[in-house]
Amino acid sequence: MSIEIRGVSRNFGEFAALKDVSLLVETGELVALLGPSGSGKTTLLRIIAGLEYPTAGTILFHGEDAIRRDARSRQVGFVFQHYALFRHMTVFENIAFGLRVRPRALRPTKADIEARVMELLKLVQLEGLAQRFPSQLSGGQRQRVALARALAVEPKVLLLDEPFGALDARVRQELRSWLRRLHDELHITSVFVTHDQEEALEVADRVVVMNKGQIEQVGSPEDVYENPANPFVMNFLGSVNLFHARVHDGEAHIGPSTAPVTTAQDAATIGYVRPHELDILRSRNGGPTLEAVIKHIHAIGPTVRVELARRDNGELMEAELTRERFTELALKNGEQVHVKARKLQVFTEDYSI
Amino acid sequence: MADTATRPRLATESLPVRIFLIGVTLIFLALFLGLPLASVFAEAFASGRGPYFEALKDPYTISAIKLTLLTAAVSVPLNVLFGLAAAWAIAKFDFWGKNLLLTLIDLPFAVSPVIAGMIFVLLLGKFSPLGGWLDAHQIKIIFAVPGIILATTFVTFPFVARELLPVMQAQGVEEEQAALVLGATGWQSFWRVTLPNIKWGLLYGVILCNARAMGEFGAVSVVSGKILGQTNTLPLQVEALNDDYNFVGAFAAASLLAMLGLVTLVIKSFVEWRTARNE
Repeated sequence: MSIEIRGVSRNFGEFAALKDVSLLVETGELVALLGPSGSGKTTLLRIIAGLEYPTAGTILFHGEDAIRRDARSRQVGFVFQHYALFRHMTVFENIAFGLRVRPRALRPTKADIEARVMELLKLVQLEGLAQRFPSQLSGGQRQRVALARALAVEPKVLLLDEPFGALDARVRQELRSWLRRLHDELHITSVFVTHDQEEALEVADRVVVMNKGQIEQVGSPEDVYENPANPFVMNFLGSVNLFHARVHDGEAHIGPSTAPVTTAQDAATIGYVRPHELDILRSRNGGPTLEAVIKHIHAIGPTVRVELARRDNGELMEAELTRERFTELALKNGEQVHVKARKLQVFTEDYSI
Repeated sequence: MADTATRPRLATESLPVRIFLIGVTLIFLALFLGLPLASVFAEAFASGRGPYFEALKDPYTISAIKLTLLTAAVSVPLNVLFGLAAAWAIAKFDFWGKNLLLTLIDLPFAVSPVIAGMIFVLLLGKFSPLGGWLDAHQIKIIFAVPGIILATTFVTFPFVARELLPVMQAQGVEEEQAALVLGATGWQSFWRVTLPNIKWGLLYGVILCNARAMGEFGAVSVVSGKILGQTNTLPLQVEALNDDYNFVGAFAAASLLAMLGLVTLVIKSFVEWRTARNE
C-alpha cells in the first residue's frame, strides 16, 4: 500500500515541528526518514501511524484519506523506539495481542493464533523463547519481539521509530542487514526513522533527509550521497572539508583549484570535498594542487585518516586514504605534501550550516 | 539488595554506631508503637476472655461494626473508581487544569478532617439552601448514614489516586499506544494493558484507603450526630464507651480496629514484597 503525505504541517504551540511536508512512499518500498533530533522525522512517522494529528495537510493510504481513521483502524504496524512491549505478558502473549483483541467475528481461532505466533517467532528467529517475559530478553531480542508483534496483525504499512537506536554497535549491524533481508522477503511498505546516516544509506531503498521540519532531499542512497542538494545534506551524510572560495567567471577558485558553477555572480562561496575525495601527492605533477603540512595521522582500520593544514592560510582539512595508498606514499607527521581534490562541490544558493 | 557479606567495608558504619542507631530506633518504636498497641489488648482482656467477647456482643457495638463495614464497602469502591479515573487522566493525558486537579486531589490531606466534616454540615445541613431543599424532600444526609459515607469518601479520596499516579507516570503511555495501533479499543487497552501493570499499586492504595475509611474519626464525628445504634461508627463507639467508663467495652472495640491495622500492615508488606519482586 502506498503512502502519500500531502502538505502536512504540525505545530506544538509556537514550535513548528513540520512545515508543509509532502512525500510519496511507493508500495513495497523501504524508506528512511533521516535527520538530526528535532527535525520532525518522528512526528511525521507518528502522524502516518495516527498517533499524532497534523495541524494541516493530509495522509493518503493507497489514495484514500487516512486522517479520518484513527490509529486503531489504519492497519499499520508500529515498532516503538523503546519497543513498548507489554511487560506483564510473555513473548507469546505479546505477539498474539493484536489477534486477541479483534472483534469476535474477525478473531482467529485459538489454534490459528498459536500457529501464527509460532510462524512469526520462527521468522524473527526467537523459537523457544515464547514463554519468556520481556524483562528476560536482551535488547536485540526485544526488538525482534516488537517487530513480530507489529507483523502479527498483517499490517499494510510497517513503521519503525529509531529501530536500532537503543542497541549496541554489533547487534545494530546484525539487525540492520536482517531487517533488509526481511523486507526483501515480505515486501511490505516500510518507513523507518533514524538519525544515523550509515543506517539509512545501508538499509533503505530511498532516503528522505529532513531538517527543521522540512524535507531537504529525497533520493536513493547513492543519489543523496553523491549529489547532495545542499550543504546541509552534504554535511549530514558524512564528514566533509570546507574550503573558502571565490566565484569568478563561472568558476569557483580555491587556491589553484577550480570548479564550474552555474551562477555568474562574483562572490565568496564555500567548496565542499569529502575526505576520501582528497588525494595526497608527493609532487605537483602538473595539475592544480594545494600545498599542505601533515599534522596528524590516524592509521587504524582499513582506511587512514590524515589531518593537514594548508600552507597559505593554515585552514585544517582531513583526507582519507586507503591503506595501500598510505603505504605507497610513506607519509610522516610534519611532512610537506600536495593535496588534490578529485571532486569539489559548490552550492551557489545562499545557505548556512 | 546487597547483603552484609558483599557490601564494601568502607560503606558500613562501625559496630557501636550501628548498635546505637538501631537501638534508638527500636526503643522509640517500642515506646510509641509497641507499648500503646500492647496496652490496648491488655486493657481489652483485663477482665478475662469472657467479658471481652461479651463486650463485643453489645448491640450498639455490633451496629457500629456493621456501619463501619458498610461505610468502607461503599467509599472504598467509589474511591477506586475516582482514583483510577483521576490517575489515568493525569498520567496519560495532557489537558488544561491538570495542576489544579492534582492540587484538588491532595485537598483532603491538607484540610483537617474536622473541617471537612464541618463543610458538609454547612453545605448540606438543615439551615443551608441545599440542606433545606433536601429536608423538604425527606432526604436525610447529615446526621445519617449518607453523610458518614460522604465524609469518609472525601477524607480517603487521595489514597488510591496518590498511590497510582507515580506508577502510571513511570510507565508512560507507550504500551497503551502500542495496544491502540494493534487494534485494541480503549476498554481492551485498559483491562489488558493498563490494569495488569498497576494492579499491585492499586491493591496497595485500596488497603490504605480501607484502613483509613474504617478508622476515620474527625470528619465522621461531625456529620454523624453519634446516635447510638444508628450513626455510630466503630471509632465513635470507642469514644462513647470510653466516656461511659466502660473500659473493657471501649478497648475491646479498639482492639478490633488495632487488628484491622495489623492485618493491613501484613497485606501491605506482602504487596510491597510482590511489587519489588515484579520489578
